[in-house]
Amino acid sequence: MSTFEFLLQGLASAAEPMNLLYALIGVTLGTMVGVLPGIGPATTVALLLPVTYQLDATGSLIMFAGIYYGGMYGGSTTSILLNTPGESASIVTALEGNKMARAGRGGPALATAAIGSFVAGLIATLALAFIAPYIVKLALVFGPREYFALMVLAFVTVSSAFGNSTLRGLTSLFIGLALSLVGIDQLTGQNRLSFGVPDLLDGIEVTTMAVAMFAIGETLFIAAQGAQAPDKVEAIKGSVWMTAKDWARSWKAWLRGTVIGFPIGAMPAGGAEIGTFLSYATEKKLSKHPEEFGNGAIEGVAGPEAANNASAAGTLVPLLTLGLPTSATAAIMLAGFQQYGLQPGPLLFATNPQLVWGLIASLLIANLMLLVLNLPLVGLWVKLLTIPKPWLYAGILVFATLGTIGANPSVFELGMLLVFGLIAYVMRVFDYPIAPVIVGLILGPLAEQQLRRALSISQGDFTVLFTSPIAAVLLFIAAVALILPLVLRMRGRGDVLTQMAASED
Amino acid sequence: MKHFLLASFLAGAIALPAAAADYSIMAPAAPGGGWDQTARTMQNVLQQEKISNRVQVMNVPGAGGTIGIAQFASQQKGNPNALLVGGYVMVGAILTNKSPVTLKDVTPIARLTGEYEVIVVPSSSDIKSIGDLVAKLKADPGSVSWGGGSAGGTDHIGAGLIAKAAGVDPTKINYIAFSGGGEALAAILGSQVTAGISSYGEFESQIKAGSLRLLAISSAEKIDGIDAPTLKESGLDVVLQNWRMVAAAPGITEEQKKAIATDIEKLAKSGKWQENLKTKGWMDTYLSGAAFDEQLAKDIASTETILKEIGLVK
Amino acid sequence: MSSDTNKSSSERRPDWAALVIAAVLAIVAAVIFVDVSRLTSTTGYSPVGPASVPYWIGFGLIGLAIWTVFAAFRHDFPEREHQEVSPVLWVVGGLLAQMILIRFAGFSIATGLLFGLAARGFGARKLHISIPIGIVICLAIWWLFAGVLQLSLPAGPLENLLQ
Repeated sequence: MSTFEFLLQGLASAAEPMNLLYALIGVTLGTMVGVLPGIGPATTVALLLPVTYQLDATGSLIMFAGIYYGGMYGGSTTSILLNTPGESASIVTALEGNKMARAGRGGPALATAAIGSFVAGLIATLALAFIAPYIVKLALVFGPREYFALMVLAFVTVSSAFGNSTLRGLTSLFIGLALSLVGIDQLTGQNRLSFGVPDLLDGIEVTTMAVAMFAIGETLFIAAQGAQAPDKVEAIKGSVWMTAKDWARSWKAWLRGTVIGFPIGAMPAGGAEIGTFLSYATEKKLSKHPEEFGNGAIEGVAGPEAANNASAAGTLVPLLTLGLPTSATAAIMLAGFQQYGLQPGPLLFATNPQLVWGLIASLLIANLMLLVLNLPLVGLWVKLLTIPKPWLYAGILVFATLGTIGANPSVFELGMLLVFGLIAYVMRVFDYPIAPVIVGLILGPLAEQQLRRALSISQGDFTVLFTSPIAAVLLFIAAVALILPLVLRMRGRGDVLTQMAASED
Repeated sequence: MKHFLLASFLAGAIALPAAAADYSIMAPAAPGGGWDQTARTMQNVLQQEKISNRVQVMNVPGAGGTIGIAQFASQQKGNPNALLVGGYVMVGAILTNKSPVTLKDVTPIARLTGEYEVIVVPSSSDIKSIGDLVAKLKADPGSVSWGGGSAGGTDHIGAGLIAKAAGVDPTKINYIAFSGGGEALAAILGSQVTAGISSYGEFESQIKAGSLRLLAISSAEKIDGIDAPTLKESGLDVVLQNWRMVAAAPGITEEQKKAIATDIEKLAKSGKWQENLKTKGWMDTYLSGAAFDEQLAKDIASTETILKEIGLVK
Repeated sequence: MSSDTNKSSSERRPDWAALVIAAVLAIVAAVIFVDVSRLTSTTGYSPVGPASVPYWIGFGLIGLAIWTVFAAFRHDFPEREHQEVSPVLWVVGGLLAQMILIRFAGFSIATGLLFGLAARGFGARKLHISIPIGIVICLAIWWLFAGVLQLSLPAGPLENLLQ
């Protein structure tokens, strides 16, 4: 049978009513657990995997795909409405999405996230089906030095998300970098900045940090405004649906997000959040409305959400073609596949085509289910914002801590939540941007480890960093991105740039 | 409300018998990892085989299991219903993290499963045998970069033991720690490092597909279906197993310990457990009683020596 | 927390809060320097060892601290809004209560208390109503997530009644 026939066959079996029901249950359960801040798709899948064991192979695969997509999408809803990104990949979504929700445009924000996720998931799943073998070759060319160059590029481009003061943006970034040092050094096993506290040995959990910085910090900040702050947010201003203008601004962002997210997800050390950072920076650069960024630009939701979903499908490329689990989620999926008698690896497509195509068909169906489940609920979700402030914020705190306790029931973790929540509050008072802290926390260790691995392999020869063509190109782009704005600013007094920068909050 | 109904429908499917908790198993790792999977498989089998009415799994992740073991030793003292899953990685982590609570502070019951370490090179490599690799290592230790898991873990220890057995200074090995099996494997496949060292399961499908060349395995004897010499046969006196075990709380009576050991033996010998080992690709290396205690003491001593020699423990 | 720096009062007086921030950054850098100085940097073949990157970050922080001092004297920091302290204390108190109680009282009582105290911070004054409501909501959440969805949430006396 040809590739296409296998896919059609898979789709036909996945579209049986009973299987559709399993997909719906999977998506629902995945969303329920996934909405908890601090519980990302990996933990969601790990927790719910046993539920699927009760079903036959096809049914369990479909429900599993549903849980996976549900867990991933669940985080976006709460990020947009409540500004509580619970996992690294939805932090960027919260930046613009929550601003939109505050301005009564939560409906379009949720819709562009859902449709963008669907579009990206669809394209990326098809790409997984047809071009996976080529993508994986590209991914394997990436070694430590290429990753290091990619991280440098990421640092340079995401600095556009740093807000209107270079000093405060850089300070936030360095706070993140300093915090990223805490814990066991990956490469030598020595403790850094853990002061003999065992709970610090594994470093500071990005999810805990995200929940503290966004959910707790924001709650404290709003509490401190006291009676001055408006008692209720106006949940809907204009249409609850996307307008023609919203569509026009979203579709290109979805496609760009997909193109950025998919290959980065496919790289063994890429990671979904890097795709979302790059997508956000790209949208901000290309937008005709740069002044809206930081105040709720729809492209800033559409692009990163698409990138997030595309990179999730990208993660499956090395997993299915090589048996490489490249993320926590993928490692758990690998365990799940083994349960269904699927041994991912280079021979999988040849030895087990039915199951592989069944899985890909399941992903497509689950993706569709997600849209079916979420679009009608947009109107209902937005109503969440009309809950009176005391109950809304008390509820946010319950949910934020629930996620953290569920992931790791430790008093120490709750203490970190409080301490970093207070730090985030003080940072908000002094107008320090929050996102760079998380960027530093994520990218810092990646860049450091890849640099040291590259130098260790070369036994201390620094020139290897530039002698790989891919690394050289990436570093060159990074250099241009860094120097060009400086040159422009000196030439034309940087009218455009200052205007762009001034739009941040 | 719809969510709620669906969930309760599923609750029926998961079927929790409403009896008193018989065992509560602590997995000192996050959901999804090897120890967590071991704990959850134990949970299923103990219930399915009616060895226990109700089993709960609790995750206490962190620092190679040292946070879990510390909490277990202090909170479960004398509790005959508490179990802890652990493994060889914990032995190393306790040493490198200078954990005040060690395996002496719990009551080890039995070793359940294990995996052997294998040494591989990409199939395009000009290294054809473990002898070639050792020769290269002796000539210039730095020129052999080893890709494997985290620093101080089983893979790192394995590389150190091999160097030592070959007469090379273990501090001179060029070990490149990667954060996960997948990342290490990608670096080996992409020829970013000279050789790879990890448990057989990590490399199995690549070896079968011919993209990795298997040089040697760390078991004491040859294993059926794995076409490679043991390190011992190749003149390197190294036997290393990455095992997982189950322990009980400290301060329990001899009778209580015996009762637990009987339950665990029932578990390990049950058909359901064997079935699970097969689907998960785990090797049955069940060992209990005095034989296990002796093996454990030996493993701890040799690990401490090699970690000191690599320079990770002072 | 925030002293209301009034720009009109005196242009020459530095922004004290900003100076405190600069000091904190410098202290963080100092902590990094002291902590990593004990690391053995000899392990491995990479000239960039476990202590190198921390040093770079430390120097970066010191640079930023100096920059912040200049900004403090030039009044580059934006004006702060008035901050009310008591609501913040209620919320922090709720989080503290949850942290202290979760081990002994279980998820519902601890988190229910957080719910009530946080709501008090946002203006819902009737604690005798909001705390019980919070506990009931949290008990339902516990039942759903721990009972049905297998999340490990600490159980206390109330949860044990449900089991």
